Amino acid sequence: MESDNLAYMELAIHQAKLAMESLEVPVGCVFIMDGNVIASGRNRTTETRNATRHAEMEAIDILLEKWQRDGLSKAVVAKNFSQCVLYVTCEPCIMCAAALSFLGIKEVYYGCANEKFGGCGSILSLHSSFSEPFISDEIPQRKGFKCTGGLMASEAVSLFRSFYEQGNPNAPKPHRPLVQEKAER
Amino acid sequence: MPSLLYSLSVYFGFWAAQHKLGAVLPVLGSNRSVGEAYLSSSTMNKQLQQIIHIPPNPPVSPTSQPTKKVYASLIEPKHANTVIRRLNQIAPLQNLQHLKRIHKKQIQGGKPELFVILCLASENETQSNPMPSDVEDVVNSYNLTPFITEVCKHVALSKKEWEEQCKLWPTSYHPPTYNIHGITGFNEEDSKSVFSFMKSTIELAKSGDHLSFSAALIVDPLAGQIIASACDDVCSWHMGTNEAKTKTCHFKQSEGFTSGADANRIARDTTLLSNGLSDNLQKCDTTVSCLNPWQFSQQSLDTSPCYCHPLRHAAIVAIEASAARDRHLFPCSGHSEKLYEVDSTHSSPSGSPEKRQRVTLENVKNGGEQDANTKSSDSLARPYLCTGYDIYLVWEPCTMCAMALVHQRIRRLFYVLPNPEAGALGSVHRLQGEKSLNHHYAVFRVVLPELEFPAER
Repeated sequence: MESDNLAYMELAIHQAKLAMESLEVPVGCVFIMDGNVIASGRNRTTETRNATRHAEMEAIDILLEKWQRDGLSKAVVAKNFSQCVLYVTCEPCIMCAAALSFLGIKEVYYGCANEKFGGCGSILSLHSSFSEPFISDEIPQRKGFKCTGGLMASEAVSLFRSFYEQGNPNAPKPHRPLVQEKAER
Repeated sequence: MPSLLYSLSVYFGFWAAQHKLGAVLPVLGSNRSVGEAYLSSSTMNKQLQQIIHIPPNPPVSPTSQPTKKVYASLIEPKHANTVIRRLNQIAPLQNLQHLKRIHKKQIQGGKPELFVILCLASENETQSNPMPSDVEDVVNSYNLTPFITEVCKHVALSKKEWEEQCKLWPTSYHPPTYNIHGITGFNEEDSKSVFSFMKSTIELAKSGDHLSFSAALIVDPLAGQIIASACDDVCSWHMGTNEAKTKTCHFKQSEGFTSGADANRIARDTTLLSNGLSDNLQKCDTTVSCLNPWQFSQQSLDTSPCYCHPLRHAAIVAIEASAARDRHLFPCSGHSEKLYEVDSTHSSPSGSPEKRQRVTLENVKNGGEQDANTKSSDSLARPYLCTGYDIYLVWEPCTMCAMALVHQRIRRLFYVLPNPEAGALGSVHRLQGEKSLNHHYAVFRVVLPELEFPAER
């Protein structure tokens, strides 16, 4: 099991490397169902100019498109997600963690923590289900998922490090007023 | 799913209350917005149309403000001046300057009684710490009878808080002046524009699948231009298609939407919802994706084909549309431009005006869309992602959408209706106050008279 985990995370790391080759922030992921890789994704924010196109979102879109093509019903798609395990090189951000909870995913393994945006314990804990004292029909039921961090964390971190060391060519500048920008340079 | 029914009945309760109470603003859970948070309104509907700032820090309920224990005592009015002067010297109320030292209590049918704060008391119930000896001296020399009472610990931030504080012990209150991250309130023109865009957003929400009352509008406020607009694009068993309802740059702003007739229709529809009268309408409430985003994972019985995307909430689709617009308008400013930025430390080889995104904005402002297409992209301002843009939403966004808008660098967010069970900007979470994030937008709630209690007609 442990070796399986590492093997899946290796695949996620490979995706992260692909991202880096495309001058994207190196984050990658794979979705596993019944021991099979059913989708993979990598960060694509620069290419799309859409900062929400994180690796997880890319892979989720691939899955939904595939299952739609296969003519699966909503119930089956929902059931499939509930059997999916995600391996991602960096802790899912708040947006992705919320999305994974909306889809009702089963479990997440991540590499390094995401201390700025992490939604699985670092900033918010969207993976832990909020068990209400009593379940009311009037309250939407939040879904949590099992979450384990630190799997091949050093590999994930070293990817980030080499990415930023090479002087992130996609750095989001200039995003401050001109005056400050001058001062920075 | 009764979630929306529940929410709407809550809102209408508030609208009703608001209607009766005039200028008193609705209060909803942690999303409290008291009258003092009021920033702007048109002169026409001074008490109805409002833009309310939703601050980064969670406000406490006025009735449950943190308190502190103090020793107090009844005091002879003739001794009051001397005693207060003495106490201010030997036991100043440090960090509690908002507290009045003296409390005048009107006793029914009798003379008013004066109480004075002697000094701070221990917060620990079990441990009774003695008063300082010189306070003890004052107590003895004036035959005072000290008792422990509670006062409010912090300065009141609103009139409402202040009124509650005074029920415990009188405090002073100075209404705040506003400066929210450089956004110093809204002048007449700005608020007019905000209301106008918000009305367009509501129009858009109705124009889509009219059962899913949700929409997003990304706007460049300086140019007064709509950048992207979208409705919810998640699955619905009412719809046979999953075609994206994005209308990039084509959405016409309807200036004439002031009659209120359409808005009344919304109000009527939503009233129907809240009363649960119509089966059809009841089924549709879950299509407002941000209100119950977990809905998808809970449908274990739906065997209809999945031609849907449970994550395509209006804001997400709008972000996608604005990114598509950017790629369309600035097709060749991808990597090369970025590389140029890196190079700029050494020299500035080509067209330095390009970098001054806001300086050249005039071009966009005056030229509009047509111009933008004909001009070479080099001469145009191209903001990074949605930097400087505003987004208008019908509902307070869920956590996913709220964070997506952080990623996309939205500057300000306006919404009409709070999302008490899933909202991430004050209701359940408060992303605008998460310090660790690398970007923060200002959040405002827009109160529209059109969405008033239907009895208004």
